[in-house]
Amino acid sequence: MSSTPATTASFVPGALPPVRHLAAGAAAVAVALYLAYHLAGVPGNGRQLSLSVLLGLAFGVVLQRSRFCFYCVARDFFAARDARGLLGIIAALAVGTLGYHVLFGAFLPDPSMGRLPPGAHIGPVSWVLAAGALSFGFGMALSGSCISAHLYRLGEGSLTSPIALLGALGGFVLGFLSWNTLYLSALQQAPVAWLPQSLGYDGSAALQLGLLGLAAALLAWMHRPVPAAPALPWWQRRWPTYVGGILIGFIGVLAYLRVAPLGVTAELGSIARTLASKAAWIPHRLEGLDGFAGCATTVKQTLWSENGAFVAGLVLGSLGVAVPSGDFRPRLPRLGESVRALIGGVLLGWGSMVALGCTIGTLLSGIMAAAVSGWVFALFALIGTWLGWRLRRWRGW
Amino acid sequence: MKTIRALLAAATLLVSQSVLAAASEYLVSTDWLEKNLNDPKLRIIEVSVNPGVFERGHIPGAVNFVWHTDLVDTVRRDIVSKDQFQTLLRNAGVSKDSTVILYGDTNNWFAAWGAWVFDIYGVPNVKLLDGGRAKWEAEGRPLSVLAQTPPPGDIEITTVNKHLRAFLPDVVAAAEGKSDVALVDIRSPDEYQGKIFAPPGVQELAVRAGHVPGAVNVPWGEAVAADGTFKPVEELRRIYAAKGIDGSKPIITYCRIGERSSHTWFALSKLLGYQVANYDGSWTEYGNAVGVPIVNLAGTVWGGK
Repeated sequence: MSSTPATTASFVPGALPPVRHLAAGAAAVAVALYLAYHLAGVPGNGRQLSLSVLLGLAFGVVLQRSRFCFYCVARDFFAARDARGLLGIIAALAVGTLGYHVLFGAFLPDPSMGRLPPGAHIGPVSWVLAAGALSFGFGMALSGSCISAHLYRLGEGSLTSPIALLGALGGFVLGFLSWNTLYLSALQQAPVAWLPQSLGYDGSAALQLGLLGLAAALLAWMHRPVPAAPALPWWQRRWPTYVGGILIGFIGVLAYLRVAPLGVTAELGSIARTLASKAAWIPHRLEGLDGFAGCATTVKQTLWSENGAFVAGLVLGSLGVAVPSGDFRPRLPRLGESVRALIGGVLLGWGSMVALGCTIGTLLSGIMAAAVSGWVFALFALIGTWLGWRLRRWRGW
Repeated sequence: MKTIRALLAAATLLVSQSVLAAASEYLVSTDWLEKNLNDPKLRIIEVSVNPGVFERGHIPGAVNFVWHTDLVDTVRRDIVSKDQFQTLLRNAGVSKDSTVILYGDTNNWFAAWGAWVFDIYGVPNVKLLDGGRAKWEAEGRPLSVLAQTPPPGDIEITTVNKHLRAFLPDVVAAAEGKSDVALVDIRSPDEYQGKIFAPPGVQELAVRAGHVPGAVNVPWGEAVAADGTFKPVEELRRIYAAKGIDGSKPIITYCRIGERSSHTWFALSKLLGYQVANYDGSWTEYGNAVGVPIVNLAGTVWGGK
């Protein structure tokens, strides 16, 4: 076992995680690399599938090491005024905003023509989005994390996350059931607002960085000093969230350039849609759904989709670093915890279905793309998280 | 000295001739295009139907035309109007003396639709990149993500060639034997025979299955080799002649919405030089029209249990 406690927080020469942990981590990474190699041979979109695995791998490593969990960082702030985690998310959004605007300039030289940049997660803005975000935030608090964090927790051996993800599948089905009503009553007429269309790229980048700077200043002002973390050997120490945030900003931009914006719910939603369609639980036609950009769900025709490959890479990447760092700790959840995870998961699923994505697909990739929908999602998801957190504290869950 | 000069001149002539030979009147090869990318008179236009394909890497210098909004009317079912098309071309830097190269994804279908629209509006010097985007990519040729805004062109659209487009009455007249026109149905045999209402993965937008009476079935893919390039002209001539399409009378091509049939329209009219009109209403119009004759070999019944 990792016995020698490092005396200082600095690098101790010769100190390494136990060999069997290293070997297990390397095996997980090797599986991901093999998958990338194997998928490269798929005719048609093999290159994209292969790259999706690699981007997912990098994303999983960063999420796990920097504990990039939207609920955890929000709770740190609510409970202890520790703003470092939320500042990490702002770092991701700032880097991503700049990168996306650079790409937009190449993809679509003139943003005022009425066209939207291809594939960018710019969604309809209506009360449905707010309701979805609220549900998502509440579900995050109940189940313990957002969908991307549940996915990287799979790599940490969590036995609660599978329950939450199962709940999310059910939530997606509920989302599909409610879709046609919501579409006809609100979404069809909802504006799909993109800041550069009215402000230009310079104005939109300036406004976004201004808002992010303002939020960062506010958080820094409210931040309270936190007790020093115990000294740990370097491989056990988490990366600061802002390091993760900066890296995620880069991964997000590269993913948009080469494959599609970051998102983690498309595959989950597609599995739910395929199963529910086969069982004829949901309407045969989901009005207008396939015309919106976002974490698009489809009835699956092929085994591997780009998002499926990305999520597989994510879980393997997380596993690959969770084992060597000693974060791989399976633990059976208590009954109450399981029920909470399941109900929270349903709320996560419904919310991300009607909001066309989650904290990654709609919040991160949306705000990076200067979509009004991303900002609206962020605001209401934060409110939902706070409500859920209050409820949990009040009930002592 | 003289001999060297003569040799040089001969070599230059040979090179320029081989380059010219690669660029036929209506087709250019990927190789030719890569060598001529810097020609200032060249305007390369991508017409891909899948969003994001152009943006994530296109032939350097190419301009993007979006089929769903640029080449069709978005409200009426119609091709793009003359004025809108002229604006579109000028914004893409097309002038009177430009040579336009069209290419796109999905087997050049939508690029061929583009070629048809260009021809209707009388734009000269329009060629298709043989093999389209798929061949360019398969050969590992360079792609760029930089979208350029070319200096505006000065092209003027003055004519509309109505003979290149067939409408429902023209097709009904052919079906009823009131006009001497050959019909080519370029859909799959299953669609032609009426076994299915639409190709796999595509919504059923017609309430009747089958084909127009008198139409022969030559699926669009018959015209291309494995790498997506058009087959040699003589082979094309034989393939269509075997089905009775020999250019001795005017031809109408159709498919489901008119984009795949643009591809065959291109082969028959541009490569073989026949007189061809494309029926862009195609089966989604004909198969929904009331009272028109239909042959349904499979006998499928719409909506019936």
